[in-house]
Amino acid sequence: MPRTTTVESAGCPPLRALTFDNLGLIKVTEARSKQGGFPKIVEKWGDPDSSRCVLATSINDRKVDPLLAVARKNGVVELLSPINGDIRVSLPSDNQAKVQPDVDNIVGLHLFKKQTSESSSRSCKLLTCTMKGLTTLRSVTIPKSLGDSTSDDTPTTWNVCGAGNVLCCKVDESENYGLFGGKGVEVNIWDLTTHTKIWQAKSPPKNSLGIFTPTWFTAATFLSKDDHRKFVGGTNSHQVHLYDMAAQRRPVMSFKFRETPIKAVTEDLDGNTIYIGNGSGDLASVDIRTGKLLGCFLGKCSGSIRSIARHPDLPVLASCGLDSYLRIWDIKSRQLLSAVFLKQHLTSVVFDSHFDDEEVAGSLATQLPNEQNIDDESIDRDEESPPAKRKKKKKSKSSTVDGDEEGDISVKRKKAKKSPSSDANKEVSESAKQKKAKRLQSVEGEEEEEESGYAEVEITKKSKDRKSKKKSKKPRSESIDV
Amino acid sequence: MGRKRDREAGSDDDDSSKKHSKKRTTDVDQVSVKPQLLPSMIKNKEKRSAVYAKIKHDKKLEKKKIAKAREAAENRALELGEELPPRKVPRTIENTREADETVCKQDDEELFAGNDADEFSSVLNSERPPKVLMTTCRFNSTRGPALIKDLLTIIPNADYYKRGTYDLKKIVDYANNKEYTSIIVVHTSRREPDALLIIGLPNGPTAHFKLSNLVLHKDLKNHGNPTGHKPELVLNNFTTRLGHRVGRLIQSLFPQDPEFRGRRVVTFHNQRDFIFFRHHRYIFETRENKQIVASKKKDDKEEDDNGEEEKTPKLKVIARLQECGPRFTLKLTSLQHGTFDTKGGEYEWVHKPEMDTSRRRFFL
Repeated sequence: MPRTTTVESAGCPPLRALTFDNLGLIKVTEARSKQGGFPKIVEKWGDPDSSRCVLATSINDRKVDPLLAVARKNGVVELLSPINGDIRVSLPSDNQAKVQPDVDNIVGLHLFKKQTSESSSRSCKLLTCTMKGLTTLRSVTIPKSLGDSTSDDTPTTWNVCGAGNVLCCKVDESENYGLFGGKGVEVNIWDLTTHTKIWQAKSPPKNSLGIFTPTWFTAATFLSKDDHRKFVGGTNSHQVHLYDMAAQRRPVMSFKFRETPIKAVTEDLDGNTIYIGNGSGDLASVDIRTGKLLGCFLGKCSGSIRSIARHPDLPVLASCGLDSYLRIWDIKSRQLLSAVFLKQHLTSVVFDSHFDDEEVAGSLATQLPNEQNIDDESIDRDEESPPAKRKKKKKSKSSTVDGDEEGDISVKRKKAKKSPSSDANKEVSESAKQKKAKRLQSVEGEEEEEESGYAEVEITKKSKDRKSKKKSKKPRSESIDV
Repeated sequence: MGRKRDREAGSDDDDSSKKHSKKRTTDVDQVSVKPQLLPSMIKNKEKRSAVYAKIKHDKKLEKKKIAKAREAAENRALELGEELPPRKVPRTIENTREADETVCKQDDEELFAGNDADEFSSVLNSERPPKVLMTTCRFNSTRGPALIKDLLTIIPNADYYKRGTYDLKKIVDYANNKEYTSIIVVHTSRREPDALLIIGLPNGPTAHFKLSNLVLHKDLKNHGNPTGHKPELVLNNFTTRLGHRVGRLIQSLFPQDPEFRGRRVVTFHNQRDFIFFRHHRYIFETRENKQIVASKKKDDKEEDDNGEEEKTPKLKVIARLQECGPRFTLKLTSLQHGTFDTKGGEYEWVHKPEMDTSRRRFFL
């Protein structure tokens, strides 16, 4: 076995990851192929405040108008835009939670991806679960401006456990079933439409010495996308249990992993590999059909792993934890692609999968109007919302955004006049901004869309020309940077 | 080997046409090659050792020459009253430390925000007075209690409790109820203290140190006897984030308002991830500057009056140190998040063997 890891920062594919930390900061890390796939911190949202420590996150990673839900220590749940970090809705904590915020922290949060037929694109459903087992399902309408956050209907609340602490909470891919487990709470499955418990695990039997280990689930996940019956739970006594609802109430299989509690479990897309991370920074992949360890991710990781995220498209895994590094791994070779130091104890990481590399921005921009049209149509098909109401919103919003854009254009032109040989990175960031604006905008009406789109095409062409001029300079500047 | 030698010889030949004529004689060929010949290439031991000795001797001569030249330059500069040529800084392991991105920077706002939010901030901002509970492992004898005794004199507001048969988790609960701010556990094995555990309370981190090279107060030669004043604390070289955190953990053991009258100082000096603990008394004294005194004696013969005039600036203040208290070395093995919990604990940092791939990588 090699004692050293050979590959260090071999560069990773273009990706964008968001990390959340102890002080409530959200940091965006991006890797672009232009910079040799070396990830960098691009943005930082929020002010450091320990009471705003992020406890749970969930992302709705759709192509248009993605949403990010963040649960904080002071009981506030915020809905953000993962593109620019704008807070869309801030839901204050309930009265009960306000009294003792320390005791009853939110441990689980899920933002529903599926749109229900009656709800419009501006509303979303949210599941929160606190440590005491208080589970709340509510739908929220995203207002035009911050402040007037409105819950559509009264939130449905129920308790998933009588005693003990819930520590993990997951919702399956079809979003009909929820999984809860924790300290003194056996894994149980709830039907989220009827709010009834449909299944509960039996605690594992005593071992050969007659010693019973009390239940203490620290992490859990559903195994595959289309099957809610199989799921995996990691325990504090460094065991991993595989449950099959259809087979029996005891674990179908269980195995041990190292000597510290399992702190994070994530499933792979193929449904038979899981990734487990533990309290002393060991990360490994396991074939759950046989329970065999496929291999460990070696890379000088020495702090507890709090969160693992699998990229939905690329063969890339991200892990983060108490060593305040975001580490990006290759799944096939299990090599460390790169590590980014983020200064705080990290609590969670998510991928923004619809991030494209800015190298193709120029060519994309010409295609974009068409794409947007398609997107809009698809949205329209998806949500049969009251049209009059939506149009109002659209117009008001799009007008403001257009104004911004014009400002942007003027600024850009000035810049072009002033400094034709401005930095290449600036260029990238500007085009990124444009794209962001587009991704945000694209929900809005088509007519304005097209106009603005054409305007943008012009700009991007210009920028393209500039880019081509600079191409000769680029490699030199990069080499200096490196 | 042979081919290489041939090639070298060939290249030499190309350079100069003079050698071209001499090439046919093998002896000359060898002579021309000799300087490039490595001793390891020679198979005959006697010849090899002779060549090696010669190379070594040449090197030594060259080194001496350089040193002499340097000294001469320095002397000349002294005579002429010029500025001395800059002394070269020797390369050490610390100098050539691997670049570390986790080293704290002074203008890092996040660091200060993190400091305000961490577990020690209430103690370090003097909102809570530090109060330390000291105990031992379950079986201890001789040197363990002696170390505890010494530590009790160093850390003010510290209490020793007999360990008895209590679990450490129970002790943590007890100390929390009694509003202690930290727990120190001295672990002994084979009658020799070998580990130190510092637990921050109520939810602070747990640091596990390896303890070595212990010299007790009474075993130190010419040791001083400290007074009961609150000591000053010196924390050296805790540079990285992890080091910063460990430093703050240590800092939270001591009161934040040292009594300078006591003139006692406790040092935690970090060097290459080893933390050296020392305890001193110091005193400031004014002394005549020796160098100037020596030069004055020469001058005295020539001019007597000027010496007395310059007497006042020749006095300089020096600090004299007297070591007291124990002396030991700590090495961090793990930093655990939360209080002591071996089974379900989350680690912020654990020392793993795969991290020891370079001598020049340090974590504190």
